[in-house]
Amino acid sequence: MNTRKLTKASYMVSGVVLLVVAVEVIARLGIAGTAWPSLVEVYEFLGDERQRSTLWRNTLVTLESSATGLVMGTIIAVLAGAVSALVPILRPGLDRFAAIVNAVPLVALAPLFITTVGREDSPAVVAAMGVGFVVFVSTTSGLANASRTHHDVLTVLGANRFRRFARLQLPQALPSIVDGLVLAAPTAVLGATIGEWFGAPSGLGMMIVSAFQSANIPQLWAVALSATAMALIAYFIFIAVQRATVRRFT
Amino acid sequence: MSAPTIPGTPAPHTATGGSRTHAGTTSGRVRSTLIWVGTNVLHLWPLALVVLVWDLWIVLNNYTALVAARPWDAFADILTHPGEYLYDTWFTMMMSVGGLLLGTVVGSLCAILVWWSAALSGIVTPAALIMRSVPISALIPIIARIFGYESDSTVFVCIVIICFFPSFVFVLSGLVSIPAAGRDLFTVLGAGKAQVLMRLGLLHSVPNLMISVRITAPIAVMAAILAEYLIGNHGLGEMFSYARSYQQWDRAWGTAVIATVLSVAIFLSARWCERKVTDRVT
Repeated sequence: MNTRKLTKASYMVSGVVLLVVAVEVIARLGIAGTAWPSLVEVYEFLGDERQRSTLWRNTLVTLESSATGLVMGTIIAVLAGAVSALVPILRPGLDRFAAIVNAVPLVALAPLFITTVGREDSPAVVAAMGVGFVVFVSTTSGLANASRTHHDVLTVLGANRFRRFARLQLPQALPSIVDGLVLAAPTAVLGATIGEWFGAPSGLGMMIVSAFQSANIPQLWAVALSATAMALIAYFIFIAVQRATVRRFT
Repeated sequence: MSAPTIPGTPAPHTATGGSRTHAGTTSGRVRSTLIWVGTNVLHLWPLALVVLVWDLWIVLNNYTALVAARPWDAFADILTHPGEYLYDTWFTMMMSVGGLLLGTVVGSLCAILVWWSAALSGIVTPAALIMRSVPISALIPIIARIFGYESDSTVFVCIVIICFFPSFVFVLSGLVSIPAAGRDLFTVLGAGKAQVLMRLGLLHSVPNLMISVRITAPIAVMAAILAEYLIGNHGLGEMFSYARSYQQWDRAWGTAVIATVLSVAIFLSARWCERKVTDRVT
């Protein structure tokens, strides 16, 4: 077992190394032209104190928007999921809605918020929408997980709909809600950067578009790396939360 | 997931409820059909709510027509200028569906190639997972810089690359999870790796492949619109960008409505295909 884990880990490390080497080789051979920088260039770009602090500042802006969006979206989605569980007459409509709402493109919503919600707040709102869609779907499916038998037992013991929700459905839905959060965390970063694309005053999305337009290739790549790192870290944090939840609630 | 009813499938309880009193009579059948249609329409109330909230949001905030469009303005623009929307919608649809299909095919082929060697798939999988986590809002400008940002083909390349990674990851995980018993049986019966793949692996990874198509379908549309917005000469993204820079808000919001409808339609078709195919192979 241990050697298998070791092999897996060594595969992973060599996979990441291979990716880095491939990126560097493509750059050195000039296969992809001048728009593919050597990682040394990106590194040197980040070596510049001023560039680094600009990138860091904008990363924090995006982090804040994504985190705000994640929290807002999750709260709204779980509340909406609770409503659909507690008010049965609304359920078929909400179920159907959840299935299609998942497919609504964030990019169609993002620019519309810029003119209404404002430049500063719209990244967080777009992130919240992306998160909300994903978490709502996983919440409703989690709340529906509780078995008929369990419902009946609690009903016989005198629990009303709200009691059953709090004591049975919600605890049982938690793993599924956390599954949703694992997917939603990178979506929050995506939503925030898309929100920033369309004219936000700061943030990684704004930096990407401006680096694209001014053909500042090392900056473009540095920003993309930074956004990717944020999405990956968020993903792994929630994977850890997911493991803990599964241990506790199943 | 508590399978949400799909519009178009009969809801059995309403049908029997309606026909109990008027069994067999034409009026009974008409009545039960009406009830069925009625409940289905009523269950679309969240859509009506969205339109209502959209309108209220604009009215209550006193946003003028210079800032945002009310739903009626957007719908009116779509209905009075269908020709303006038709070509760009068609373009975006062909781009996203074509990119989705090509990306899925290439992703699956690469997954099969990589699966051939356990070591290779172990090495490539983490790299693919990293690539999958690159936000597409960061990926598109990079691809656009590399492939040139004047032509429509770059839009297509963006979609193909973005659809490649999910299908690669899903198909590979399907191939890796071939049950050991099945693999053993094949080996005992003298099957080579190629035969295990052809007769067991491909079939085993089809459900995963279809899940990836369903999940990737809306992403393909989003990628198409983002890429068109940034670089395109055609398509809904470009149409939106144009309307926005001339502050034609009814047109801009109308484009957003059409983009949403297109994305939902492509998603529902992908989900329909997934159900059909998965029923067939499992």
